[in-house]
Amino acid sequence: MGTVSVAQMDELFWLGRYTERVYTTIHLYIRYYDEMIERANLFADFCSRMEIPNIYASREDFVKRYGYDESNPDSLASNLQRGYDNAIILREVIGSDSLAYIQLAVYAIHKAARSDAPVIELQKVCDNILAFWGIIDDGSSPQVRDLIRLGRRIERVDLYARMHYESGKMKEAIGRLVHDKLVTGFGNGSSEKAAGLEKYLDNIPLDYHDIVVRAENLF
Amino acid sequence: MMDLHEMDLLRHKETMNEQLARYGVRFGIYRNNVFHEQLFPYDPIPRVIDRQNADFLEKGLAQRVMALNAFILDIYGKKQIIHDGVVPEEFVFAGSGYLTQCEGMQPPKGVCSHISGIDLVLGKDGEWYVLEDNLRIPSGASYPMIARELERRCSPKTFRQYQIEDNRDYAALLRGVMDYVSTEGVPVILTPGRYNAAYFEHSYLAEKTGARLVSGQDLFVEDNILYRRTFDGGKERVGAVYRRLGDDFLDPLNFRPDSLIGVPHIFDAFRAGNVAIMNTPGNGVADDKGIYYFVPKMVRYYLNEEPILQNAPTFLPFYGEDMKYVLEHFDELVLKDVAEAGGYGVRFANTMTAGEKEDFIRLLKKEPRRFIAQRVVDFQEIETCSGDGYVPRKADLRAFVLYGEKPVVWKSGLTRFTTNPDSYIVNSSQGGGFKDTWVLSQ
Repeated sequence: MGTVSVAQMDELFWLGRYTERVYTTIHLYIRYYDEMIERANLFADFCSRMEIPNIYASREDFVKRYGYDESNPDSLASNLQRGYDNAIILREVIGSDSLAYIQLAVYAIHKAARSDAPVIELQKVCDNILAFWGIIDDGSSPQVRDLIRLGRRIERVDLYARMHYESGKMKEAIGRLVHDKLVTGFGNGSSEKAAGLEKYLDNIPLDYHDIVVRAENLF
Repeated sequence: MMDLHEMDLLRHKETMNEQLARYGVRFGIYRNNVFHEQLFPYDPIPRVIDRQNADFLEKGLAQRVMALNAFILDIYGKKQIIHDGVVPEEFVFAGSGYLTQCEGMQPPKGVCSHISGIDLVLGKDGEWYVLEDNLRIPSGASYPMIARELERRCSPKTFRQYQIEDNRDYAALLRGVMDYVSTEGVPVILTPGRYNAAYFEHSYLAEKTGARLVSGQDLFVEDNILYRRTFDGGKERVGAVYRRLGDDFLDPLNFRPDSLIGVPHIFDAFRAGNVAIMNTPGNGVADDKGIYYFVPKMVRYYLNEEPILQNAPTFLPFYGEDMKYVLEHFDELVLKDVAEAGGYGVRFANTMTAGEKEDFIRLLKKEPRRFIAQRVVDFQEIETCSGDGYVPRKADLRAFVLYGEKPVVWKSGLTRFTTNPDSYIVNSSQGGGFKDTWVLSQ
């Protein structure tokens, strides 16, 4: 393929963000799903950290609507749908074989919604997202790969910061983002800077709010 | 006739449909103004066209498309066919497909109908009948293309056993046409967007041809030259646009001013000879259901040849004699509204109640130009898998002709079948499925 258009650049970036959002939040959801066996109201803490409205009446309501309700803009299903909305218009850029994994992830989340053991089925959503990233890394043009990857890196830093991940994981995520930003040159700011995020790679205390703001301003 | 009951591919129907779902092989449909995407049901029993029939169709289709192309050029040029009294002007200028804006146009290399989708049926009498010419934006080639790719993966044995023409060259043929008519610059496929019924096809053909898939906002015209915006603020010149949106929406400054999906001034760039638009605007003048009646006459007029393919027996109530016939044989006919497409506006007289007939005849007398009447062609059924057995179903064939340096008939086609045993309407929008079309290579 030749150079992508402005619109496609944006779509690739958001495809990266939405796939990362689904992948990372599925892991968080599964962790909370487990902890909520003993602590039924823990979903309120999840919503607070994610800065999403707590519209859920109960643990069961949260499990169902946060997981699979496509009309809920915060749900896993609706975020995956938005990822699909970006992917479907990029077929000729990313290729049918790559797009198929997003399609399979959508089928898997629909199946999870109908399953008696939905969390087990969610693993297949993650498997397909991982396969999608793998095929993109393996076979796409550098431009496509870098845009999707930059979207993923920003989203991961954003989510980790919101969830106050421990320092080691946080720095690992920031390190990847800074590296990709500097190597690819995509995004806002000069090609030598990563919106000041690089300072967190040194031994300074993490300011999670500042990290979210800087990450969001990067592209 | 080839016995396909032992064919290995039959065992893979479920896998094939799973694979088609995996690749998002869908079509969109609007119901109550809400967009739904549906999988297009696939049946593994193909339509098989033997060598003799393939040769016949190839010649007939190429001839028909050459005549239609000549007609379009003539109508927007000298209008000789009207002056010579072969086609009445009422049928040309009153139809919605005629566009005054196209008067005097000179498309690159003189090609108007780059991609033609000709709908045919095989009658029980063994004769092929053309039901419709689609010269605007015919869709459907991508379905047998991807099906063949997947069939070969599922059942290589089948393709070792039978000698079948490879249909996966469609993208190369299409790209060949794009390159042939291109003025200067890259080829693009212009889509109205993902909520179009045929969006899968737009994106799949872009992938397979290597053309860029663009929407209206990706393109702009400067000094009558068409460009595509690139992500870094640059631009690249576009030489050929395979547009998949209708004439009305193509250019808000030349056609519908409320179009948000078109490209301002693209038609001016085309008229200036700076870009090829595939198919050219204004082609609707030749695929109007009323004009269809005159296609055999066009073949004689422009090519000085006898038409190889025949139309289904058609009557134009516009002519007094035909109106008389239609009224006398009303119950035997199918009536088609010339302004409709996609299986809509088709009424079988024998299914109307007495009141409906009365109302319809009144409308027919009031607006005779609006309808054509055809004898119902009793067309052959094709076996279709159903549970563990087979059932016969009505099926048509959309053949594709790609016109660059010369018309080339694609050695395959889209076979659509009705899932309803009592229906003759095979359109996907009406619940039909599809089959691969095999052209035997020997």
